[in-house]
Amino acid sequence: MAAVTGARLLAVTALLTACGERDRIVVGAKNFTESDLLAELVAQQIERRAGLRVERRLHLGGTFVCHAAIVAGQIDVYVEYTGTAFTAVLKHPPVADRDSVYRAVAAEYAARYGLVWGRPLGFNNTFAIVVRRADAERYGLRRVADLARVAPRWRAGFGYEFLERADGFAGLARVYGLRFAAPPTAMDLGLTYRALADGKVDVIAGNSTDGTIEALDLVALEDDRRYFPPYEAAPVVRRAVVERHPAVRAALDELAGRISDAEMRRLNALADVTHRDIAEIAREWLAAHLP
Amino acid sequence: MSAPPPPVLEVRDLRYGDRVAGVSFKVGVGETLVLLGRSGSGKTTTLKLINRLLEPTGGEVLVAGARAAGLDPTRLRRRIGYVIQEVGLFPHFTVAENVGLVPRLERWAPDRIAARVRELLALVGLDPDVYGHRHPHELSGGQRQRVGVARALAADPPVLLLDEPFGALDPITRVELQREFQALEGRLGKARVFVTHDVREGLLLGTRLGLLDAGRLVFLGTPDEFRRSALPEVRKFMEAA
Amino acid sequence: MTLFDFYARNSRELLLLLGQHLYLVALSTGVALAIGLPVGVLLTRRPAWRGPVLGLANVFQTVPSLALFGLLIPLFGIGAWTAITALVVYALLPIVRNTYTGIAGVDPAVREAGRGMGMTDGELLRLVELPLAARVILAGVRVATVVSVGIATIAAAVGAGGLGVYIFRGVATVNDTLILAGAVPAALLALAADGLLGLAERKLVWRP
Repeated sequence: MAAVTGARLLAVTALLTACGERDRIVVGAKNFTESDLLAELVAQQIERRAGLRVERRLHLGGTFVCHAAIVAGQIDVYVEYTGTAFTAVLKHPPVADRDSVYRAVAAEYAARYGLVWGRPLGFNNTFAIVVRRADAERYGLRRVADLARVAPRWRAGFGYEFLERADGFAGLARVYGLRFAAPPTAMDLGLTYRALADGKVDVIAGNSTDGTIEALDLVALEDDRRYFPPYEAAPVVRRAVVERHPAVRAALDELAGRISDAEMRRLNALADVTHRDIAEIAREWLAAHLP
Repeated sequence: MSAPPPPVLEVRDLRYGDRVAGVSFKVGVGETLVLLGRSGSGKTTTLKLINRLLEPTGGEVLVAGARAAGLDPTRLRRRIGYVIQEVGLFPHFTVAENVGLVPRLERWAPDRIAARVRELLALVGLDPDVYGHRHPHELSGGQRQRVGVARALAADPPVLLLDEPFGALDPITRVELQREFQALEGRLGKARVFVTHDVREGLLLGTRLGLLDAGRLVFLGTPDEFRRSALPEVRKFMEAA
Repeated sequence: MTLFDFYARNSRELLLLLGQHLYLVALSTGVALAIGLPVGVLLTRRPAWRGPVLGLANVFQTVPSLALFGLLIPLFGIGAWTAITALVVYALLPIVRNTYTGIAGVDPAVREAGRGMGMTDGELLRLVELPLAARVILAGVRVATVVSVGIATIAAAVGAGGLGVYIFRGVATVNDTLILAGAVPAALLALAADGLLGLAERKLVWRP
């Protein structure tokens, strides 16, 4: 008698769990604040509009970690940048036109990985070559090309991904003729701003939408030779998920074009400078912009 | 009977808590004072009060007329030879290095140290050429204690303290070493305090005996006087002999 | 590409990172020895301090290395000094504890004979206690060094260089060859250090 009840219990649990599996969305994020913020926005948006349970896996790792994870089906969605997908993942040489980059990645991701690109969120987060304001004024640095003058006496510091990527340091140094005194100091990406502010390094590669640039009295130099491709942020989703839950697509499309460069910077500052809770920032933003 | 030699070592009303309760004696050149007593009677403690391994709580120690308390303990101890039951040779030093320790600390010239080491090893019956470069673990118990004695004599101190030096040896070796020690006594010209609980050893080696009981010196006299004494504590010891 | 191909193409960089790694380990172990040896000796002179001091060193040991690096950044900034400080902290316990144990383990009769013959505390320490404790102390240094080689790989996270640079780069880009490029030499370095110090233990210091 007990054995039969046990078996029924097991069957019911298995069924429920299986249902839960299919109805659960996993949202991933890269290992920096903006990615966590966007992931939280996406997660809450899916929860409220598509009514699905969402599991977050924030601060997972770099671009390549997230890409490997979504291809393997360990995450279902994450926000990627078109330029990054184009040069680092698909390994194409950089192209300047925003729309061609978007079309290319959308097509190739669908064909090669079964991944669907949502519509861009509205801002371009390109790499920002950042220096201290005092140095910018003392050496008259406005553009990245100006760095070539001071590079031989300077130390550069970068995160590990920027050092490895095709659209990263190697290409930058080549295009702008930058020769530093020593190979760049490598460190965890999150520490580069601090290293710059403390004077341990003289130039870093941050994100143009980082909240800390102004807060730490730093200046981003202009990419006058257009070395970096456009980096429009847009969600990337597994096709299987989109097919099973069309509501997810609709939820994500609602975010299209809603976040400007300035808005993203503001949100990043709330998290990085004011140190507010990411889930709260996301909730407030959604309440204000997509009630 | 000739006048007693001037005391090299004098102990006056020495105290250490209730372990040593007012002990007094004098030891002259060439004399061996044997401190006899049961375990816990305070004889080892008394010995350690002399070279200030323990600090007296009362009384005085005088070495060659100078107050021990007024001397730097290290300087005091270098003028007093110290032999213990476990010997305590430095295992990482050779026999020669062990014997030559105090001369080395006193910065004697190397040849003087080497000569002295040879002389002393020969004195204690160890061929310096055979044993000089050996390490303590290569020696027997008896040989180690010979080295211990040689080491204590190295800087030619006027006073020698021995705490049951032969206690850990087998009976045959013990007798051997007692005899050799006795033969050495005349030649050395030192004041010796020898602690033991073995009354036969005491009677053999002492020029005088002191019997300690519960921290008090209940007898102080020659071996003959000891044998003839009617004191109950002495009689107990004689019976056990 | 295989590991060998990678090294063939990047031999200069490998040597640079190896050099940085050795620098971190050697300097930190040296400082830990300079601090830990006297502290260990002090503990034998003041037994009452043993509990608190060893207890404190033990607590340091339990702090996860990445956390300790993070805590030290505000004090020492990004770069080698934070890493070296953390490595010193981790090396202290084995060195202090082994110094204490080694000296405390010296035969009391040897100590008594030494004192009784008129050795000063310094002479006793220099001529007797330290030589007799050397083997145990060296064993402590050995443990400290091997642990340091491992923890030093994390130093790359705070910009201190070393073989961890390869590992972090490999993790960031999901590149197994890179990860191994850092991990394998680090492991070999640890083995080599262990072996060399073991040899020194056997050959150079007095053994009972």
